[in-house]
Amino acid sequence: MARGSVRGATGMKARAVNLWLLAGIANVLGWASPARAYETEVDASIAAQYYTLSSPWGDPELRRRRYTETLGLAVWNIQGEGDPRGPRLSFQSRLRLDADFGQSSAERALRNPAYIPGLEQAPLGLMYAYLEGQRYLGGHVGFRLGRQYVFDTLGFWSFDGGLVTLSTPVNLLFEAYAGLEQRGGGLPYLGTRRFEAQGVYRGDRNDYDAAYYPLFLDESKVAPAYGFSVEASGFGVLHSRLSYRKVINRDEVNVSPFLDLGDGQYFLSGNRTSSERIGYSLRADSPKLGALNGSVVYDFYNQIFSQYAATADAYVNSRVTVGLSFDRYTPTFDGDSIFNWFSHSPTTSALGRAEVRFSRRLSATLSGGTRWFETEGYSSNYASRPDTSKTGRLFDVSLDGGARYDYGRGSLGLRAGGETGKRGHRLGGDVTARRRFSTRYDGMCLVSLWDWSDALRPDRDATSLGYVLGGGVTPGPNFFARSRFGLELEHQMNRVVGQRFRALLTLDLTVLK
Amino acid sequence: MKSRLDLLLLSILLSAFLAWCGSTSALAGGKSAPPLPSATFSMGDSLAEALRPPGSFPGDEGPSLVVFPEQSMPLRFNHQKHVKQLGVGCATCHGAAKTSQKSSDSLLPPATRCDGCHGTNHRKLSQVTTDEPRPLGQCNYCHVGYDPARPNLVARVVVPKPNLRFSHQKHVTGQRIACARCHGKVEEVKLATRDQLPRMKECVTCHVLGSGDGSGGTAALNAKAAPGAPAAPRAKASGACTTCHLTDPNGLLTTTFKSGKLLPPPWLHDAGHGADFIERHKMVAGNDSKFCASCHQERFCVGCHDGNVRPRRIHPNDFLSQHAMAARQDNPRCTSCHQQQSFCLTCHQRSGVTMSGPIGNLAKRGRFHPPKSQWTDAPRTAGHHAWEAERNLNACVSCHQERDCASCHATRGVGGPGPSIGVGAGQGINPHPVGFVSRCQQALRQNARPCLTCHLPNDQDLLRCR
Repeated sequence: MARGSVRGATGMKARAVNLWLLAGIANVLGWASPARAYETEVDASIAAQYYTLSSPWGDPELRRRRYTETLGLAVWNIQGEGDPRGPRLSFQSRLRLDADFGQSSAERALRNPAYIPGLEQAPLGLMYAYLEGQRYLGGHVGFRLGRQYVFDTLGFWSFDGGLVTLSTPVNLLFEAYAGLEQRGGGLPYLGTRRFEAQGVYRGDRNDYDAAYYPLFLDESKVAPAYGFSVEASGFGVLHSRLSYRKVINRDEVNVSPFLDLGDGQYFLSGNRTSSERIGYSLRADSPKLGALNGSVVYDFYNQIFSQYAATADAYVNSRVTVGLSFDRYTPTFDGDSIFNWFSHSPTTSALGRAEVRFSRRLSATLSGGTRWFETEGYSSNYASRPDTSKTGRLFDVSLDGGARYDYGRGSLGLRAGGETGKRGHRLGGDVTARRRFSTRYDGMCLVSLWDWSDALRPDRDATSLGYVLGGGVTPGPNFFARSRFGLELEHQMNRVVGQRFRALLTLDLTVLK
Repeated sequence: MKSRLDLLLLSILLSAFLAWCGSTSALAGGKSAPPLPSATFSMGDSLAEALRPPGSFPGDEGPSLVVFPEQSMPLRFNHQKHVKQLGVGCATCHGAAKTSQKSSDSLLPPATRCDGCHGTNHRKLSQVTTDEPRPLGQCNYCHVGYDPARPNLVARVVVPKPNLRFSHQKHVTGQRIACARCHGKVEEVKLATRDQLPRMKECVTCHVLGSGDGSGGTAALNAKAAPGAPAAPRAKASGACTTCHLTDPNGLLTTTFKSGKLLPPPWLHDAGHGADFIERHKMVAGNDSKFCASCHQERFCVGCHDGNVRPRRIHPNDFLSQHAMAARQDNPRCTSCHQQQSFCLTCHQRSGVTMSGPIGNLAKRGRFHPPKSQWTDAPRTAGHHAWEAERNLNACVSCHQERDCASCHATRGVGGPGPSIGVGAGQGINPHPVGFVSRCQQALRQNARPCLTCHLPNDQDLLRCR
């Protein structure tokens, strides 16, 4: 990257040393090539966290000694030099090690009374790794091959497979993909359970007998998935996207929850729907007036509209935006889960918001409204009038505010908010100050005060005061231009935990060549 | 006593920090910016709205400071006089605009361009001379702050290069777009400042966003010019962000500049990154994730959505202690980032709060929920678990496994006695929502596993759904 700053003799020397180091490392790693077009980016991120948490009854106490490391490798412009509007090929990947050295070995010892199914001390995961091509066949075709994410109305999801995009001259973009849903598992899958549908507890049961933790289901190692989307853009003020996705469970699954108590042993095999949903989103925005957004998701397995949401924002003038939002969400689960049929009622939120930009330096937002929860029948008099055809509602009221002020080399931020209702409240705020001392050093301070009550568990009510002090240093302006070493110390005080301390050490390294 | 010491320590730290924030002059390693000459345009000198370029907002403080960094123009100049009264055309002084292909090209006229009328000679800038005795030939006529005691020394004009790709040639010569279309009524102002530079809001009337790379012809035809501005030309204009914005080697937009951080304006797809954008971004990204991908790599998204370090903006304060309340309030929605039966359940089992967990934790465990008489026994009261499950089932699923529910809700004959229920579990208490019968047939056909978990294959209730 070209940088246009004037350097003194010392700076030039330092730069030369760094360039030499860079060249040396690149040669060692075999990257160096005298006339290449591709760009290589290697980055590593390390976070070490140290804190303790305990059960509501004091024992057991969990020591968290967490160490997370991600390592990313990307190669851009693999296609070589050519028309900047022509085909483009790149590769991106990221590995993650997520270790907790505070775990007790007893928690991972099969048959031990403290055993936790599925608990791993240092799982290694491949977050994503894919080859991507853009603007092929006259600029109309693109593809992705490998482990990748999909972001759409249906949520944030990951699969291993292929995706093809086709853009048309009439501003319609078609996308189709097929592969296997990313599910938990060690080698060779290197997957996380994060993207599996909710409501199922799966893992590796290789060393289990059938009666041991029967509801810890054997992981579905291959779950075929496919989907498509049609996106329309550039039609004046409108932009819309239709997305469909289906995931299939194919493994043999245990259906009896009580095997350990002598019941029979039943298994079900064959293709089963894990999830099948279709979603549509629409945006209409005018830079002069405002924006309307809407989305809806239909769940084919549950046969309900599981989510729908809408927002309307008006740009009152250059400084003020006001808006309304509505969101209705019904929990749905993996098709294998009985929780689908315990799911009754949606949670609905209706909020109003205002955003004011007082100047380039100072802006603030305020939002407030209500969130209501529905029940079949009135909870207050169900005993005397057990009528499930009536819908009962419990209302929470929420108010949130935020402000940010940028000054010279730093910023001051405020975030406050709360929600209160019959089940209790959360109310509080944080003030955060950040400041750069030079191009190399930065510091931050956060003060936080929150109060909460839980109507179902009054013994957990508390007022909590906390603060965080942190700082960071960037090693140098050249080789490690986008790298940083940081340290944060967090201290929380409340009657539930007394004193809770947390130390967070981070190291981010990026090399772009 | 200990907590008092903590508070004392905290207040000392706070005081020190606030003092530090206030000491703007104590910038370690930094230098104060030089004061701008008096003739430099300042935010208070708002132009009449009609004179500003199309796309400007009333009081918008000029175009983006990130794209067009702050300038220093210590000159006294009157465009109105030159253009309107003397009839000097734009190209007379800014002729390079017809051929310029880069935004970094300087389109300011050389000082020699003034010599013909002002009687000066700027050919050698270290020895500028004049043969014009009238004021218009004197240095201080144009150069603000000129000191006769220091001849040939004038304040420098500083116009940083814009952080933008732009070809005047394509627009002026190629598409024959009039200067006023982007720069407003310069002929009515004195000194043209940053405020006369174009606004993105006007650019996108031709470069229709989302219309792709060079394929926005149809959309461009639909674009409407701002009132009073010259009509938009009928030509293709790419709506891709990279058409105008600088990019990193990875193809993403460059967002970090010395002049600041490039952020989308509030009117751009409703994606203004204000203080509450973290709550609003779901709608923007769900509808058009490629728009977000103009600036963000996936690692930015997974930092939260598949992350391992608690983001304080989402989970403030001692969130470990308050998260149960937040989950019950569904604020924020836990399932956006967490899989309940892996992320939540594992930790809840370890800490001994779950019903079906390690046997080793059972002895130490107290009762998590309200008393049995209220929580599970009939008749239902306001604090009954059925209401809690109906109002927010996700909170239940973060601790409970299927067996916890099936113990009572499975039909009779299914399942063993369970640890605390007694012989004959499977109490047959129907948990299904209203209207379930109309949906059960299709559900059973797609996946029979949940049905068979609670019902025997020959169960009469199940047969109704076949």
